[in-house]
Amino acid sequence: MWDTPYPWLIPLLLVLAAVFLYPILQIVRLSFTDANMIQVGYDYTLESYLRMFTLPGFLPMIGTTAFFVFFSVVFQLFAGFIVALLIVQGEKMNLRGTVVVRTSVLVAWAIPGVVIGVIWGMLYNETDAGIINYALSTIGLGPVSFLSDPTMALLSVTLANIWRGTAFSMILMYAGLKTVSKDVLEAAVIDGASALQRMKNVILPAIAPIILVNLIIISIDTFNTFDMVMALTGGGPGNSTEVIALSIYTAIFREFNLGEGAATAVVLLVVNVVMTLVYLKVLGRRGEE
Amino acid sequence: MMVGAKKQRWIKVGLYISYVLVVLSFLFPLLWVLSLSLQTRFEVLQVPPSIIPTSFAIGNYREVLDSAPVLQYLWNSFRIVASTVVLTLLIAIPAAFALSRYRMKFKSQLMVAVLMTQMISAVVITIPLYRLFASWGLLNQLWLVVLVYVAVVLPFTTWFLKNYIDTVPVDMDEAAIIDGCNKWQMLSRVLFPVSIPGIVSVVIIVAVQSWSQFVIPFILIDDASLYPVSVGVVNLQSTQTQITTHLLAAGSIMSIIPVVILFVLLQRYIVGALTSGAVKG
Repeated sequence: MWDTPYPWLIPLLLVLAAVFLYPILQIVRLSFTDANMIQVGYDYTLESYLRMFTLPGFLPMIGTTAFFVFFSVVFQLFAGFIVALLIVQGEKMNLRGTVVVRTSVLVAWAIPGVVIGVIWGMLYNETDAGIINYALSTIGLGPVSFLSDPTMALLSVTLANIWRGTAFSMILMYAGLKTVSKDVLEAAVIDGASALQRMKNVILPAIAPIILVNLIIISIDTFNTFDMVMALTGGGPGNSTEVIALSIYTAIFREFNLGEGAATAVVLLVVNVVMTLVYLKVLGRRGEE
Repeated sequence: MMVGAKKQRWIKVGLYISYVLVVLSFLFPLLWVLSLSLQTRFEVLQVPPSIIPTSFAIGNYREVLDSAPVLQYLWNSFRIVASTVVLTLLIAIPAAFALSRYRMKFKSQLMVAVLMTQMISAVVITIPLYRLFASWGLLNQLWLVVLVYVAVVLPFTTWFLKNYIDTVPVDMDEAAIIDGCNKWQMLSRVLFPVSIPGIVSVVIIVAVQSWSQFVIPFILIDDASLYPVSVGVVNLQSTQTQITTHLLAAGSIMSIIPVVILFVLLQRYIVGALTSGAVKG
């Protein structure tokens, strides 16, 4: 019996079926109903989708999510790359302190999202006792309404998320940069390539696959972000920082509208699946190289 | 290298300046909260704010411990994370072994399906589970919560360990079979010991992810005595007001201090674990 692969895989398949397959089928089914969290019965209908797409809040929510994901991902990639480059360069030159830099960035990865939300909420304190506003006031700026102005709040949430996600992005970039061959780099130096040319023609092509993988992983993570935003703004003021994962929660557990929340969840599910397919395509290409 | 000594020195200076900036931007938020946690409620409201607390109100910590069961939250987190790690390994190691060592139909399709689940938002799966558990009267069951945590980390763990076992030469299996080992002995006595570094990587990553997990316990647990620390902090936040920032700060510091200490002590292994995962995965 143990000479076939199946018994070794059964526990894995059972757990995944119970915790993923069943809920996904349920959420798709519920999205076609008018179920709510108060009454038991429900009817099948397309109402949830029709209402979701025509609701005045839907397009702004998608816009908020798009802004949050796009700028989080771009800046996490950029900041992660720069910090990793600085550390790798310092290690090459045997500088002291690279470990301190690496560790202080990494610590952000170990802090639960809700605690990050709470911490940034304190930094963004809008009174004069708030540390960022105080710092701005010393150079004659502010006070800034970090969390009470709708546009500013979205920027503030995105900045906090960039801070949070840079650690993970940095470590992937760091791993990638470590694999760049020293010989090739030295050959490029001997050929008279400038630092910029080495970056463009040697380093970036070598780590392009890892940048792509990083891009996809952090995009998916950011799409699914819920905890940090909830602790920092709760989606407000108004709905100005209500990203998609949070709006699903709000629809179901605050407005008790299960059908509509499920329909939004299906939208997020489709995003997740499409991004996974892109990821697999990238991985497949990596495998062929 | 052909870079002149003078240029070399300027590069060093530039690197050090950027290091200071990077470390400041990552540590400052934490140090500021640490500072707030040691200020009295009057000092918190003072303008200009004091970077280094003058009151050094260590009593804030006692006050938080008296009003909120932070130690209980930490203990709950620890229990949940430890059970998750153990159960995950028990399920993922045999599965990774099978995926690495057996030929089977639809293997690549199965691997893709497993990876797919990795990408799905926890909020999407937790809502139907909440309905199911609620209808069975099974909310607030930590073992069920652990099962959901395990499912969330299993896809990554299985992939990672499968890739790790792939790097172990098949010759070792054959030698074990010649020595009269059955498959179980081969896994436990031969492959398990040589896979320890990979398993350590997985344990670190799973532990950090599970420690941070929020949406699953937030929805599936409503008994405050079972909250893990992430939900506990949100609970603390909702009961606090502007005037008690110093207490919320103290609670936040207590909730992250165990992990931060662990990270500083183990940073070498953690970086190793993450980088090896990134290159192989």
